[in-house]
Formats: sequence, structure tokens, C-alpha cells
Amino acid sequence: MNWHPLLSLLLLPLTLTAAPQDDAYVLGPDSQQRREGVPQGKVLQMPAWTESQIFPGTTRDWWIYVPAQYQAGTPANVMIFCDGAGFVKEDGTFRVPVVFDNLIAAGEMPVTIGIFIQPGQFPPAQGESKPRSNRSFEYDSLGDRYARFLIEEILPAVAKDYTLTEDPEKRALVGNSSGGICAFTAAWERPDTFRRVISHIGSFTNIRGGYVYPALIRKTPKKPLRVFLQDGRNDLDNQFGNWPLANQDMAAALQFAGYPHQLVLGEGTHNAKHGASLFPDTVRWIWKD
Amino acid sequence: MLRRLFTLATLGLACSGSFAQDTSLSAHLVPGKGWEPAATGFTFTDGLCTDAAGNLYFTDVKAGEGIYKIDAETGAVSLAVKDLPGISGLQIGPDGRFYACHNREKRIIAFPISGGDVQVLASDVKCNDLVVTQRGFIYFTETPTKSIHVITPEGKHRVAAEGQVNRPNGITVSPDEQTLVVSDHGGLHVWAFQIQPNGDLTAGAPFMTMRPAIGKEEALGDGATTEAEGRFFVTTEIGIQMFDPAGRLSGVIDKPTPESKVVSVEFAGKDHHTLFVAAGDSIYRRPMQTAGYFR
Repeated sequence: MNWHPLLSLLLLPLTLTAAPQDDAYVLGPDSQQRREGVPQGKVLQMPAWTESQIFPGTTRDWWIYVPAQYQAGTPANVMIFCDGAGFVKEDGTFRVPVVFDNLIAAGEMPVTIGIFIQPGQFPPAQGESKPRSNRSFEYDSLGDRYARFLIEEILPAVAKDYTLTEDPEKRALVGNSSGGICAFTAAWERPDTFRRVISHIGSFTNIRGGYVYPALIRKTPKKPLRVFLQDGRNDLDNQFGNWPLANQDMAAALQFAGYPHQLVLGEGTHNAKHGASLFPDTVRWIWKD
Repeated sequence: MLRRLFTLATLGLACSGSFAQDTSLSAHLVPGKGWEPAATGFTFTDGLCTDAAGNLYFTDVKAGEGIYKIDAETGAVSLAVKDLPGISGLQIGPDGRFYACHNREKRIIAFPISGGDVQVLASDVKCNDLVVTQRGFIYFTETPTKSIHVITPEGKHRVAAEGQVNRPNGITVSPDEQTLVVSDHGGLHVWAFQIQPNGDLTAGAPFMTMRPAIGKEEALGDGATTEAEGRFFVTTEIGIQMFDPAGRLSGVIDKPTPESKVVSVEFAGKDHHTLFVAAGDSIYRRPMQTAGYFR
């Protein structure tokens, strides 16, 4: 982490042409399958969310995970995932339901309801056409719009049927890439509601102005957030910015301002494999008091 | 040592440029080819549009006689339609006629490419710019009333959106014509609306964020057009801003000169691979590695 910045720039092209570095990252036993006797939570696909007032005209798929140990009336922790489809699949990259079943049964994380939300899209109103994605607008934009979507629309909808915590320390946000900066933005804007952030290959670059966060973190009174960052030295370097430098800049700012945080900087490219391989440990750390 | 490192790092960056994302502006420019004048000696050029052959049409809003043409093959400039001064927005519709914001006469009109036989489609409107869809819906911006109007193929005229865009100005559509795009001259955003089958506009949102001049709160979004792959090009105070289909700012093309005020942009020329911009008394052009949607 104390490298001269030019050195890390230098490394990029040398490794871009090398064999893919991502194969080193594989899922560990907490993620691969449920341990014997571990009770299985349920994953429910919710009816597509089509009536958003905050993102009018969009439709999105979403799911919730309810652990077997959940008891109505006892508030459960909440973890919300951007690009939720990639996290919720039992045989996907992260296998969150498997990880949660294993860790909750072992007492290594609290009883947590998972909410997995896809970014919105505008279905074509006529004829044959691909839907227009609202992902970048929702995830890369700074400001409180996405936080308000969660607070005013999604959380109340889930709370109708499940007892969710009211404690911001027990609500976490997770995302990859633009979803990573989205998770941070929502907590940054609304620490009264969200205080734990997990970002993999987070886009703290200038897609829609997100490169300002290191400067903001340094010059804003410390907020009660705990932040986990993962990135790879071979992550993107494009017109929006340099992902590994941006994540190191974020970590340095969080360090300067005294935030509890971690940066795990690996060798990977712009994909979720490293983050997924770390995920059980990440969850243990993010819920630590 | 530091200097040597820097050289290596610079080389490295150049190498990694070959991995540039689809959205990089520089991937669409032609190295070494910048702006060059295509037509000069006018007063206030505007209203750029093109036809299937790649001819470019434009107007001289404040002083011109009508519609001017830059020939796609020869580059020759001529007066194509006489006696229609004061047009600020122009496009060729699916029926092959010109559709125009006749700003000076406060009306929307249609007329044959060769001129004559002017049909009035709407009157008493403070129209600025327009776009015509393949289905024959005309959308135009009325800047002072913060509104976007629609005229249906049946000739019904109504306000389709009002109050969201502060000073609606440039207007274009996505290549699938499901999304209408409007630039704000009095703000930072380019707005996107869903086009409904009956022509209604819904779900307006500030989908793209323009870069303003340093220290300014408004980007002066003006004329807009669409690239064949769904990128949007919008003229602003600092230059022509390119957005990818996800609405992300990919880069800003410098104005032809620092003093230029750019107000209208269109792809034309052979294969529609040349970007033209209206910059005050002159039209400028530059080759691109990408083509326009309108033709």
C-alpha cells in the first residue's frame, strides 16, 4: 500500500497480457455447500417491482432470503445486495444463501434477512426492442436517490411480512462495481439507516462523479460507517478512472479519517471471483461489533 | 530514475489503451483529424439535419434566406430552399418532407425537400428544436414554457411533458425510438422519457449529467443527435458531450475554436461518418469512426 503510485501504474500493462489472475480465487467450504445438518433458509422471488415512485417507469426483479432461524417478532439484521441476481443464486458466484445458512448455523453471523435487488429497466412500450437499463443512473449517481428508494419503498415492503431491525448498525449494503459505489453512497447519504458497506471492485471513479469520495471522506466529520473494500491490481483502467488506484485512495481516506475499514487488494481483474472467495470472512467482519 | 519510471508508466498506459472500453470517446475520433470549416460567412447557423445520401442541411436563423445544403459528394454549399427564413430546428420525416421549427413565425411546418407547399402543423408555439420519429410523431421543445410538445401522425397537438426540464432545448430519440432525449439549457442534465404507443411521454428522469464550464451551474445543453449504436451527442458551453447508451458521459469533443458557441450537431457526409457542428457564422466538420442514426 506504500508503493509509489507510478509503480502500480507500471504493473498494469505487464499483467494485462499475462494469464488471467482470477482463477486463483475459488470458493471455500463456507460457500461451496451447506454443511451437514445446517438448516436451509428459504429464497423467495418477489413480484417484479413496477410501481417505484423514485424511479418511475422502471421494473426490476428482486428476491428475499429468510434464514431458517428467523422468528417473527424478533428483529432480523438486514443485508441488501445491488445486482441481487448474481448474489442470490445457489450455484452462482457468491452463493449467499449457502454462506448465510452455514454462518448463521455456526453462530458466526446474526440472523439476517437478505434482500437482493436488480437495477431497474425500462421495458419497451411498443414493438420489439431491448429494455433500457437504468443501472448506471441508479448506481453511479451520487446523492440520496437510491437510499430513498430502499428506505421509502423496499424496506417497508419487506417489513410488511417480516420483522426487520430498526438499528442502522444492523443494516448492511453490498455491491460489485457500480453496485459497490451504490452501496457506499446509500450509507454515506443515510448513515441514520445504513452503517455497514461491502464493496467489491467498486467504481469509485468518474462515471458520474464518484471519484470525489476520498476528498469528501477527508473533509467531512466522520460518519458511523464500517467499510469493506476489495479490488484487484488488474482491475479496470479506462476513461472513467483507474479502479485499483481509486480503491486505494478510498482506503487511504478512510484510514485518515479514522473509519473502521479494510481493503483487500488482490491480483484480479474486473469480476467478482475474488470478492466471492472472501465473502464468508467479509460477512464475519462486517457484522463484528 | 523517476523520469525513466514515468516514461515506462506512460508507455504502459498507452498499451493499456488498447483495452479501452466501448465507451471511450477517443475510440470514436480519427487520430490527427480535427475540425475544419465546411461552410462560412453566415450569421447564426442552426438546425442541422441530414438525408439518406448524407447531404447536410442547415439554416441561418437570424439572417438567412432559407435552408442551405452541403453536398455529401462535393462539399459544395448551396441554398436549397428559398424564402423560409427563421427556422431553428429541422429534420426530414419518414414521408421525405422537411419538418421544421419555424421559430420566427412561431409555428411547426412541413414542406417538400425542393420547397413550396408549406403545411402548417401547429401555430402559436415558441418552438426551438424538433425530432420526427419513424412512426410519424413530431416532438418539439418549447424552451420558455419548460415544455415538450407532440404532434401525432393524425395531426393532434398536445403538451407531452411540462415542468421537468428547466429550459428544454435539443431533442433526439434512441435508435429503437423508445426513448426521447431532451437537453436542458438551464441545468446540468439531459433528460430521458419513455415514448408510449400513443405518443405520450412518461418516466422523465435526468438520465445523463453534462459537464458544465468550471464554476458554472448550467451546462447550456443545446442541439442533440444520436449515433447509430445509441450514443448521444449534445452541444454544450464547453463542447460536444458524448454519452453512452447507459447515460454515462464518455468524453467532450472540443469546440472548433475556444470562442465558438456550438448549438446544433449532426452526422452527415458519405456513410454519415462525418460530424458537423453549427458554430455561429460557420459550420465545421470532422471525420468520425462511428456513424449517425438519422439518415
